[in-house]
Amino acid sequence: MKLIVCVKQVPDTTQVKIDPETNTLIREGVPSILNPFDQFALEEAIKIKQENDEIIVISMGPPQAKKALLKCLALGADSAILLTDRIFAGADTFATSYTLAQAIKKLGEFGIIFCGLQAIDGDTAQVGPEIAGILNIPQITYLESIEDVSGKKLVARVQTDDGYKIVEARLPLLITGITTSSFEPTNPPMMSIMKANKKPFFTWDANELGGDKDKYGLNGSLTQVIKIYSPPTKEKGVIINDPPEAAVNKLMDLLSKDKVI
Amino acid sequence: MDEDKCTGCGICEQACPFGAIKIVEKIAIMGDECTLCGACVQVCNTGAISIQRKKVDNVDFSQFRDIWIVAEIKNNKIRNVSFELLGKAIELADELKQDPCVILIGNNVKKFIKEFSNRGAKKIYVAEHESLKDYYTETYSSIIIGLISRYRPNIVLYPATISGRDLAPRVASILELGLTADCTELSIRDGLLLQTRPAFGGNIMADIISPNTRPQMATVRPNVMEAASIKENDGTEIIETNVKINLKGLKLKIKEIISGTIDENEIPVDEADFIVSGGRGVGCQENFKILEDLARVLKGAVGASRASVDLGWIPKSQQVGQSGKTVSPKIYIACGISGTIQHLVGMKSSDIIIAINKDPEAPIFNVANYGIVGDLCEVVPLLTEAFKKKISKK
Amino acid sequence: MSLKFTEEQEMIRESVREFAQSKIAPIALEMDEKKEIPQDVIKGMAELGLLGCTAGEAYGGPGLSAVSAGVIAEELAKADCTGSTCVYYLVPASWGFLLNKYGTEEAKKEVFPKLLSGEHFLGIATTESDAGSDVGATKTTIKKDGDNFVVNGEKMYISGVREAVTYGGGHVTIAHQSKELGTRGMTVFYLPLTDEGITPTYIPDLGREGISCGGFTIDNVKIPKHYILGEENKGFYIIHEGYEYARALIAVICAAAGLKSLENGIAYIKERKSFGKPLAAYQGINFKLAEHYTKLSMLRDLGYQALLSIDLEQEGKATRFETSKKVAMAKMFCSEWACDAINDVMQWQGAFGYSRECQDQAAWRAVRSFSLAEGTKEVMKMIVARELLGNKQY
Repeated sequence: MKLIVCVKQVPDTTQVKIDPETNTLIREGVPSILNPFDQFALEEAIKIKQENDEIIVISMGPPQAKKALLKCLALGADSAILLTDRIFAGADTFATSYTLAQAIKKLGEFGIIFCGLQAIDGDTAQVGPEIAGILNIPQITYLESIEDVSGKKLVARVQTDDGYKIVEARLPLLITGITTSSFEPTNPPMMSIMKANKKPFFTWDANELGGDKDKYGLNGSLTQVIKIYSPPTKEKGVIINDPPEAAVNKLMDLLSKDKVI
Repeated sequence: MDEDKCTGCGICEQACPFGAIKIVEKIAIMGDECTLCGACVQVCNTGAISIQRKKVDNVDFSQFRDIWIVAEIKNNKIRNVSFELLGKAIELADELKQDPCVILIGNNVKKFIKEFSNRGAKKIYVAEHESLKDYYTETYSSIIIGLISRYRPNIVLYPATISGRDLAPRVASILELGLTADCTELSIRDGLLLQTRPAFGGNIMADIISPNTRPQMATVRPNVMEAASIKENDGTEIIETNVKINLKGLKLKIKEIISGTIDENEIPVDEADFIVSGGRGVGCQENFKILEDLARVLKGAVGASRASVDLGWIPKSQQVGQSGKTVSPKIYIACGISGTIQHLVGMKSSDIIIAINKDPEAPIFNVANYGIVGDLCEVVPLLTEAFKKKISKK
Repeated sequence: MSLKFTEEQEMIRESVREFAQSKIAPIALEMDEKKEIPQDVIKGMAELGLLGCTAGEAYGGPGLSAVSAGVIAEELAKADCTGSTCVYYLVPASWGFLLNKYGTEEAKKEVFPKLLSGEHFLGIATTESDAGSDVGATKTTIKKDGDNFVVNGEKMYISGVREAVTYGGGHVTIAHQSKELGTRGMTVFYLPLTDEGITPTYIPDLGREGISCGGFTIDNVKIPKHYILGEENKGFYIIHEGYEYARALIAVICAAAGLKSLENGIAYIKERKSFGKPLAAYQGINFKLAEHYTKLSMLRDLGYQALLSIDLEQEGKATRFETSKKVAMAKMFCSEWACDAINDVMQWQGAFGYSRECQDQAAWRAVRSFSLAEGTKEVMKMIVARELLGNKQY
């Protein structure tokens, strides 16, 4: 069966810093990477893949997103599709989900769609469930592990606020919220990198995708960002370097003085 | 880009969060990285930049009225976040001169009506049925979709809890509505809901609106808004919905629920006023007792970074961070936590942050109000003693 | 021609960098102290496909191009200030290339799998006590004996003797088959070091102590004819291709090691104050920084151009002579320029730069070897002069 993994190329937000003088984002030299949560999703798909299964990775993005897809191919995906077109730009989560859903529809029958928890730039965690809603398939969010899967059903362990639950769902379905992977390693070896370039790679634009053009990109976005700004900076705190007893005494004094306690 | 108006001043280049603008020969050029976020449009002094959005016919949204919140019931209690959402809804409703309302879905939930009407809910939509005992995407979303379609709210707020984050986007995609996640601020501007949220791992803030769809929907994390307080209320309308759901027909079924990895008497980490949190620096599972002792004295909860959860020292339900819970307690004490962005995102908004770490370069010290460079195994027990003394003195 | 890497090479770089920074960089100095590369690092390098990366796909190898091999070398050099893993990598890469091109199918099928798995080492052993740059002065002999060959002689100042003797593997080497023909009577062959006729000795090196240096006597060691590379008596002509591969990689390694040291230096001179100013403010220091950076950047380009020439030569798009010249140009000053830069970085750091805790002193000791390893800088000058003057002696 087809296992579809939705991935996104994102700036490495862990390396993003704020310029203390201008209070704006410093984005020089911030590398673009495969969204780490999407990599976990891909690794989950690889874990459950059987002989006759095919892992297809899809991404909506600018042409340079090809790099992220190539990495997925090197990690073990079988084929990749890049959805790229000026029309797709400026998409909010709904327009993104619509675009990805269109591509998935075009692929025909599938078994499972895997999505990462969230993109580390957008941080919304909405695209997965929105794709499931558009395609009208069951969704499993906050997946902890897949316990069992056959051609028709899937049994999964899902996180809850204070424990977990076991759910059973009919295929086709969508899984998201994968937050870790027990899979290692994550550095593709040379052989896999060499093989990646030889795997099928497709680039689709809006025409190839069909669908309702008004639902793509900026025009299809139901939310609009009207302003972006840096969060207020915090005053630097007090760091105490004394040996433990003295340090604790100092801290308690400060907390008292500052009326924290 | 109107090249005639562009002076090449470069303000837009500075403002772009994606590095998409370059000034070439005194004209701003937009590159492929442009996401049409509009940050440049705001800062341009000459109005040289504009974003062409599809023109929307003036649809009459005036029939969409009231601010709804989706209540969350857990373990037969109303989760605190429901009151926080209600508090915000009342504020928004006041400004729009509309009503704050509550959606109450579940089994045996009518008994909770009073707690919401006591806190100012003007209407409560109740869907009570045995089949709604447990949260299922299919059942809860159908009910909400039905209610929205019938009663046309202006705004719907959901808690950004595990169920909320499963439910809200599902509803949004089926009804094709704008949805904004994890809002830290909500207000009314020009009659629209102004939604403010962090992005880029908390490195930037974005103001968002959903001008062309109703209802406008947003999710809000627990511990962010102020809870509605008990007040006098001159009448709450109760609207009951008939529910006809057959669980047998569901495509996804719950086979087993295992809860109680937290003690019933323990305060859940995302509802505690004081949190003592442990990371890789704690060293081993046994050492978490040191943190538990302090938490007990403070009458708070024990939290964890992802590192200590992955190492199996503490259950995932205590995890604070991007893939865990977001907390904003009065005091957050981070012990042996380096302070990666993924963790900070979950606790940055705490009132006071105290960090204890052996490594003076640990990034956690950059967000801490107070920090002690030292071994937590030595420092924390002393801290526990000090707090014990302080509290007994009172 | 500008230096542009393919998407594939970018992925290779990322993969190797992640591995090298997390597994090698933290323990680099230890490798000099303990005089060995930890087995799990070797295993990690093998799992990534770095050892034997030039082995063809038919033998289970990735069959990387020379430029790709250079990318790997560069990333290893950035992470390993002692250079041990760089040597452990570049020698099998270069001589694997020669084996892949001129070895028999039988030999390749025997040698490559063990190399790729990280079990065996593949080295180069042409130097003798009395024959270094003058390869023709080799005293070791090889004589036909039915379907086998018998080898007698000795080799000295060879890298990886201990590794091959202990774990298995061997070295590509050269000997006189028909002494009366001079350099036209030399044969290149693979010599396993596990034979009883091999008696090793070990020599302590100034640097890159994680990989051993030593020699061995060869007493009537019999090897099968399928271990011969290329044609009998024609060895002198093909061995230079192996040297050149190694020399080009060395140039890239020197540039990377030098630039990495400069990075360390920049961090230091920005922080350290003397007489009220940071060291970086003094032109005596920052002019040197600029000079070294310029030279090392040029060296990096030269190194990659040489590697590119090797690749083009395999496709018939460059001649043997073009490659020889470019390689010699790249290697001519590589050690000098890198050592000069690292020496200054050590000086900027004063007493710390002289202590064993400083990374740069290890880098200097490693890079110093490259003015002689795989070809002295003097021979590089001979080669370029010859190319320009048209005095071809071979």
